[in-house]
Amino acid sequence: MHAKISRRQFLEKGGRAALGVGFAGSLLAGCGGGGSGGGQVTYWSNLEGSGPQAYFKKSIEKPFEKANKGTDLKVTFQPPDEMDRLVRTALQGSEGPDIIMTPGPAYAQEYIDANLFAELDEYSKEYGWDDMLLGWAIDLGRYEDKLYAIPYQLQTMLLYYNKTVFEDKGMLPPKDRDELEAMAEELQGQGITPFAAGIGDDPAAIEWYPTVFWNHYSGPDALYQALTGEIPFSDPVFVDAIELFNNYVQKGWFGGSQEKFFSNGFDALHADLGDGKAGTNVEGSWFLSNIEDFFKESGDTWDWAPLPPLRSGVPAELYELGIGSTLSVNASAEDTEGAAAFIDYLVADKKRAAEWMAAVPSAFNAPLPFTESDFPSSMDERVARQLSALSQATNEGNFGYTAWTFWPAKSDLYIQEEMQKVLTGDITAAEFCEGLDEEFTKERKEGAVPKIIKPAGP
Amino acid sequence: MEVDRTTAEAPHGAAKRAPGRRLRRKRLITAWLFMLPLIVVNVLVILGPSVATVYFSFTDWSGIGSADWVGLQNYTEIVADADFWLALMHNLIWTAIFLTVPVGMGLLGAFLLSQITRFQMVFRVLYFIPYVIASVVNAALWQNILDPTRGIGSVLATVGIPYLDGVSFFGSERLALPAVAFVENWHWWGFVVLLFLTALQSVDKELYEAAKMDGANRWQQFINVTIPGIRATLVFVVLITIIGSLLVFDYIYIITQGGPAGASEVVGTLMYKEAFARFEAGYAAAMGLGLSFMSGLVILVFLYLRRRGWEI
Repeated sequence: MHAKISRRQFLEKGGRAALGVGFAGSLLAGCGGGGSGGGQVTYWSNLEGSGPQAYFKKSIEKPFEKANKGTDLKVTFQPPDEMDRLVRTALQGSEGPDIIMTPGPAYAQEYIDANLFAELDEYSKEYGWDDMLLGWAIDLGRYEDKLYAIPYQLQTMLLYYNKTVFEDKGMLPPKDRDELEAMAEELQGQGITPFAAGIGDDPAAIEWYPTVFWNHYSGPDALYQALTGEIPFSDPVFVDAIELFNNYVQKGWFGGSQEKFFSNGFDALHADLGDGKAGTNVEGSWFLSNIEDFFKESGDTWDWAPLPPLRSGVPAELYELGIGSTLSVNASAEDTEGAAAFIDYLVADKKRAAEWMAAVPSAFNAPLPFTESDFPSSMDERVARQLSALSQATNEGNFGYTAWTFWPAKSDLYIQEEMQKVLTGDITAAEFCEGLDEEFTKERKEGAVPKIIKPAGP
Repeated sequence: MEVDRTTAEAPHGAAKRAPGRRLRRKRLITAWLFMLPLIVVNVLVILGPSVATVYFSFTDWSGIGSADWVGLQNYTEIVADADFWLALMHNLIWTAIFLTVPVGMGLLGAFLLSQITRFQMVFRVLYFIPYVIASVVNAALWQNILDPTRGIGSVLATVGIPYLDGVSFFGSERLALPAVAFVENWHWWGFVVLLFLTALQSVDKELYEAAKMDGANRWQQFINVTIPGIRATLVFVVLITIIGSLLVFDYIYIITQGGPAGASEVVGTLMYKEAFARFEAGYAAAMGLGLSFMSGLVILVFLYLRRRGWEI
């Protein structure tokens, strides 16, 4: 899952990996675990940065404890990219927090298969989650008609652009493939990189691009059919999408050149967008949380637009759905009620969630039917517009699929690894898609594919 | 009268031996008591996980839940896994690089340092600094220096040296592995210099005098006096280089994560991905044991040569 991969965390990863089990063990020892009793609820959060963490303590933890007398919420902040490994290690030892955060439905399903999560239907009735949360979100958390997980930290892919550059050149964000290609040629002709891009900090981030091209070229209906096994991923509609992306990379549209695409780091490519060396950037909605930082120096302005359809028949305003995390209750939690109460507190109240979303962008995106008026006036208009657009579009079934949410783990890793080989010319787009189909078919037979929710259709 | 020496001496001997045996037993117990904490720790953190790893390598364990016995399946799959062999080939290339470049630089650096007395300590410290800097810091430093658009290449281009401008060291399939090796070498070679320098200082100066009197030039002195004099250190460096190259992980994982397109993948990074991204913990365990087996072979060869009388 790559909600958090827009940061340079793999530098930290290496160090932490070297510390190994001892590090994890000491963390676990320090955090208590499922055995905590007497109304204590343990929660590992993936929030980063002293500001957001202090905000959580002050504006969420304390008010929750006040509203739920007798429940002691123990929060531990874990590095997002390490979270699943730490949770996995803890659960191996029948430990771990009472509320378990996974990186997405495919991961949650694995834990459910191992009987590690408690059923939440009773609490869903008690708190009215069916009525409050977006329908697809509840559907996504059900396995064999039982609710186990609540999707959280919603994301989508967006086209960010340097508005100052666009205005200077009399350009508008593209609305279709012709406009997108014309824009890219125009920018490149003027010495501006059309799309700031690079996977130097996190090679796994390459999966953003097959995600975007499959959704906006192949379309969500074709993806739904492939993800449910009706058509293979080797279908030309998927192969052509990959070839199109490869073609754009070879032209130097993404990151400047194929080799730079492999080595550009996030800070550098974001700086390129901010200072006008690049015109646009295709990235997830998480970038809204710090995009402003990269425009301060140049004084340019930014905005976002929906990614355009790249083939006729694909919806004009389509948001591929990404789930940054899911929340579940540890089957061995002593205070299951307290844990469910905290999930309800964190996810289901629109007013509270809107306030948090305004205070710490992209960290608390709850699966609720928001409109722009739900958000406080302090929220950046562009962020409020994006959140309500995503909420409304997905509520109407106008959504696509992100690789890190709807593909099972091995297929997702296949995309991350083998897509690189398409760009280097080691394999063709057709070979890539055939290999994916083989891996995906195997995982589908093993029951590893998460629940695939159906889009509204054409 | 003939004295039965055995019976006559027995009490005397026994009397002499008894305290010795008690003393030895006492010493033995004391020694084991001192060893006990270490043994307990080793059993917990080395032997236990090692046995578990051997067991899991014969299962399809995903990292959580139950593990089903699959026999030798993981091992047969590794034999047929092209990614594993490619990664192992990269390990071998890495080994070749580190057996030559830092060892050669270390020998040269140590020899040059041994020739000076003033400022020797300053150079020693300077050479050693990269070794004590954390790998994540070293890696970040070189990622910035070698950045294709904002690094040294673009700076040199502004002063009329355009050859490195736009070169993507870590993004090129051809350059990624040697570029990461270059970064790790920068971290490593200073340590090798100090090892060799220490060894050089223990070589008897009279041997050089004798060689000179026999008409040996500098190169002949190096080959015939220096190398035999530091052979034990040289072999030690070769040994840790081979084992370290088989187990290499951190710099590659931090800088390229094995990319682009597997061009810098080594068995260590592949194993990590199998365990924590593909959730094939059983398969990763088998891979890890394969690596351990290879490292063990290197150590066995080393021990065998020692037994054959090699002074190493």
